[in-house]
Amino acid sequence: MDLDLDAATLEFQAEVRSWLAAHVRPLSSMDTSAGFEEHRAWERELADARLSVVSWPSSFGGRDLGLLQWLIFEEEYHAAGAPGRVSQNGIFLLAPTLFSHGTPEQQARILPPMARGDEVWAQAWSEPEAGSDLASLRSTAARVDGGWLLRGQKTWSSRAAFADRAFGLFRTSAEGRHRGLTYLMFDLRADGVSVRPIAQLDGEPGFAEIFLDDVFVPDHDVIGAVGDGWRVAMSTAGNERGLSLRSPGRFVAAAGRLVELYRKNPDPALRDRVVDAWIGAQAYRLHTFGALGNPPTGPAASVTKVFWSELDVALHETALDLLGEVPGGWLDGWLFSLAGPIYAGTNEIQRNVIAERILGLPR
Amino acid sequence: MTPEQEALRDAVRSLLEKHSDVRAAIETPHGYDKDLWARLCDIGVLPIPEEYGGSGAGLAETCIALEELGRTLTPAPLLSSTIAAQALVATGDEEACGRLLPRIADGAVAALVWPWGTTEITATPVLDHPEITTATAAHVLDGTARYVLDGDEAEVLLVTDGVSVFEAGQSGVTREHTPTMDPTRRLATIRLSNAAATRLGPWKHQVRDVALAALSAEQVGAATKALELTVDHTKTRVQFGRPLASFQALKHRMADLHVLVETARSAALAATDEVSAAVAKVYCSEAFFKVAAEMVQLHGGIAITWEHDAHLYFKRAHGSAQLFGSPQDHIGRLSRFAHR
Repeated sequence: MDLDLDAATLEFQAEVRSWLAAHVRPLSSMDTSAGFEEHRAWERELADARLSVVSWPSSFGGRDLGLLQWLIFEEEYHAAGAPGRVSQNGIFLLAPTLFSHGTPEQQARILPPMARGDEVWAQAWSEPEAGSDLASLRSTAARVDGGWLLRGQKTWSSRAAFADRAFGLFRTSAEGRHRGLTYLMFDLRADGVSVRPIAQLDGEPGFAEIFLDDVFVPDHDVIGAVGDGWRVAMSTAGNERGLSLRSPGRFVAAAGRLVELYRKNPDPALRDRVVDAWIGAQAYRLHTFGALGNPPTGPAASVTKVFWSELDVALHETALDLLGEVPGGWLDGWLFSLAGPIYAGTNEIQRNVIAERILGLPR
Repeated sequence: MTPEQEALRDAVRSLLEKHSDVRAAIETPHGYDKDLWARLCDIGVLPIPEEYGGSGAGLAETCIALEELGRTLTPAPLLSSTIAAQALVATGDEEACGRLLPRIADGAVAALVWPWGTTEITATPVLDHPEITTATAAHVLDGTARYVLDGDEAEVLLVTDGVSVFEAGQSGVTREHTPTMDPTRRLATIRLSNAAATRLGPWKHQVRDVALAALSAEQVGAATKALELTVDHTKTRVQFGRPLASFQALKHRMADLHVLVETARSAALAATDEVSAAVAKVYCSEAFFKVAAEMVQLHGGIAITWEHDAHLYFKRAHGSAQLFGSPQDHIGRLSRFAHR
């Protein structure tokens, strides 16, 4: 597909490519204490080159670029094999929420340190009894003078083991399932917070449980109106499910690596699966670039979420079948891909959304 | 879509809603409704430049019309005439374009014999031939081509040996309607034996990519409609006191089909070069086939009847996947392109 890029975009693409070629190096796992700090330092390097959040306004550390340029950045980033983004919860999930629902004060206070990795964010959605049925969550925020007191337990909180702050939903009223929820940000090092890391299937603590025991949150850390948290959060969920968290660059790069792997380990019985996976990555890329004027949000984001998460599993499973007993550099990616159909709302929930809200099938 | 393209889509859709009768058309000797085809030509769905008597529609407009024809499975020589017209324009032969394109724009069916699958055509230059006036362009063609789209109906018959494009004459050409699994698609076997032909110009591989993109658009239209019909059926069919569509096991199957159809549409729209056209052909073939197969399963017993249209979608899906090279053939080609 000919993208027909203009001169300024081509220049930007060349700048990104050469910067990455000069700077990308392997880092330790971000799910270790030392690796987390390496990734934080990497975010600062990106920010110094004004490459950490290219589509944001320049006043917050971005370059005022459009979605096309962001997709180009992502393609270059993944093709270069650059490190995972430790700031991903913040820049891809919280930031879009702040752009839509935050006050100018919140944006000015929170976005610049997020863009530099000075504040790394964890998400605090799920609870032990509230997974797919997120609106049944029980953690509460009680009104006190000047703010709120959080109490309860969150789980599967990505990055929480080493992050600085977190965002999530809390019940501020017992009336109504969705209407009683409020969107709050809190400090993971505040009094009353205890974090218990959970080892993931690779053995590293990629997520954690968070216990909250009367944790004070000032009023200025409420996003949107009190009681309106569900609606605010769903605009974030659309981002997590849809385009922003999983740009096609990631899959196009992985598909390219898969083709290279096949060239080194040709197994004719697997050829069609390799090409099918490559076609899937191309199709997702075409779908994404085709949707540039109308990026998927709301129910349409569920379509892309099902697609990319299952594509990611297929890409990695094919690589593992090619490699046989020694999965080499693909094991971590495969383990990570297994989580794709689960997080950001399981694919079963996404299929309910597509069926009920796009196809109009009855509940 | 521009407002003009939306208007074109609406015009074609409304024409087909009023006048397309697939069951009647496939029973006619020609396999398509000639009056309906004339009306489609009046709307201007063929990609023929205005200087040659066309409407000036581009391929994007033709693909919009093909998507609509795909939705209703309406048999019409739009795909074949589009491909032949594109091959003709690509030869750069202004005399032939001036002579043939206005006829095609007026509805004369055009077909191209081109080398996909097992077709083997050989072209031999001859010094002179009683039928051919342009002596330097005179050739004779030999070979057999199977599954030529609208080949027996074509008034304008073009042939390529993979190097050049020829205009076939009368002598030495036999054409035979070849019924296949899909009754809504007209295919023919063309036998060329010392057949007189005029060389018009070079064969351009881009014509193949155009053909694949155009077919993909038609497949997307058919897949979209097959899913719509399935969704409608499950919303109205009641069992255990509730609509079938309220059962999660069925909802999730239809949600998966929606994901397939939407990504297939993106692949078809983006098919502009050799790689993306082949990706679209593979992807849209597999998507349509999956949707049509699920259409049968989700309709239950009624889908196993001749009366219900589900089998027509299923047969079209199978036939379209084979047309212009199977997904396997194109996966083989793509395995050479996969990079980065």
